[in-house]
Amino acid sequence: MAESSLSLRLARTWRSFIKPSVCNRCLQTRRTLATQTTASQGQRDADLEESSSLAGPPSAASRANDFDPLRIAKSRKRQLVPSRYQFRSPKYYRGPLHPHQPPPPSDPASREFVPGPFSSPRLEQAYHNIIAPDFMTMCYQHTPPGFRPSQKGPRLRPWLGDSPYFQNRPLRGPRGGDVLRLLRKPITFRNIPMIERVTLHAYVKSALTSGSSFIHVAGMALQAITNQRVVIHEARTNEASWGLIKGKTVSMTTDLKGEDMYHFLGKMINVVLPRIKDWNGVRATTGDNSGNLTFGLDPEAVAAFPEIETNYDAYPGKMIPGLHVTIHTTATCDKDARLLLQQIGIPFYGKVVD
Amino acid sequence: MASALRPVLRPTHLPSLPTSTTTTTYICQSCRHARLLRRPKRPYTFTQLVTLSDGSAFTLRTTSPVPVYRSTRDTRNSPLWNPSSKELLNVEDDEAGRLAGFRARFGTGFDTAKDGKKEVDTESNNASSVPASSTATRSKSLEEPKFEDEQNTFEEDDMNLLDLISSFGQENAQQDSQTSEPKKGGKK
Repeated sequence: MAESSLSLRLARTWRSFIKPSVCNRCLQTRRTLATQTTASQGQRDADLEESSSLAGPPSAASRANDFDPLRIAKSRKRQLVPSRYQFRSPKYYRGPLHPHQPPPPSDPASREFVPGPFSSPRLEQAYHNIIAPDFMTMCYQHTPPGFRPSQKGPRLRPWLGDSPYFQNRPLRGPRGGDVLRLLRKPITFRNIPMIERVTLHAYVKSALTSGSSFIHVAGMALQAITNQRVVIHEARTNEASWGLIKGKTVSMTTDLKGEDMYHFLGKMINVVLPRIKDWNGVRATTGDNSGNLTFGLDPEAVAAFPEIETNYDAYPGKMIPGLHVTIHTTATCDKDARLLLQQIGIPFYGKVVD
Repeated sequence: MASALRPVLRPTHLPSLPTSTTTTTYICQSCRHARLLRRPKRPYTFTQLVTLSDGSAFTLRTTSPVPVYRSTRDTRNSPLWNPSSKELLNVEDDEAGRLAGFRARFGTGFDTAKDGKKEVDTESNNASSVPASSTATRSKSLEEPKFEDEQNTFEEDDMNLLDLISSFGQENAQQDSQTSEPKKGGKK
């Protein structure tokens, strides 16, 4: 070992003796004080460019002919490093002025990208093929040609009177209350109500008194049912009568949209709701007057979901939560929303209030 | 808004499209520090075939790895969803009249009030057989009065009272056939 390294070192020193430290070409271009005079007298300076900068760049056609990426790629001896051809989204968003910007979440290269949809749910197909045309037909209201609906007054009333304080005052609210209800427009092919999203909400009361295990179990149950992670919520205020403590985790929600929503609804309506004992439907008075209906599922009903039922032993029996299911529709009144949900298969009972 | 009747080539909602509700992390607008872009957590989903009780089937994306789910109770055999179907209604078919006969003999006022007319008919049919058995039981009871029978006096009175209350509207029908005697004997 020692000998070989010594010989190597010797060879190196020998080479450096033979070869000058400056290459031949460099020697030619190198100017010294001695060469300067001859250069100024005889040949032109090599540093000076032949063409003037005023002539402009070479034409686009010639550049296009010269451009040969294949040749460049073939002349490359080694493979490019992955960072040269693979885009990697930055792990952190460093503000709008940073040069390395993350792609939008809809881009598959983005870290926030969620692929899908992977299937077309049965309920969605039923909606587009059966329910929506039926709904439009049922809600059709014929007006003879030349019919003009009676003009209604403005919903926000001006302030009438001589008072100088009425000048530039914001308009008055509608009669009989301050709430400006949504307008119901006649149903046409472009505003047939559809289900927008479904919100599941579980208020886990026992988490306040007996530890966080209730929260964990409820979260796993909800995730199993909905195919989505839950969002947990803390109590915002102290409420002594309910045992609420500000900042404590008490509830969780899941917002379902698109594919997940249709799968959840189809599963719930076809399999779970018929198994509830002594259930005669959703109360017809439910709703918030703008087309969002809510009903509740008790823990027994939640345990009847096929995902929980097949794996029932994994969930401590007393810890399975009850649920509030809110179905948000694009209908602007509860009547339309109820009609839509009835077509989808949710039964209603009781007095109807519109 | 809804474009329900148009074919959905580009769905309005994609799971990857940013929405204010789906972001779990709090986005601070005025923050100067680098914000971590979290990868969304999604549970693994399987495709499951759900077979309803009438044999119709559809696929579902679920978190449960069971490939085929057969339901025994669903919208196809629940009376709430099939109000007009005869099979699902909980009506007993009593062609031979045996249930009615039993009810006529041993039923309380609650049951008899339900179908009084039927009871009358069946009782007249069974009249021959009923007294014999009733007399037999009576003689037995006369031979050896049991402890239970002695204690049951209050309950007997109570039942009679109940019968009296329930048969308030049906007195005429009862008087016509005069068949209250074997019934009481059978009650015991």
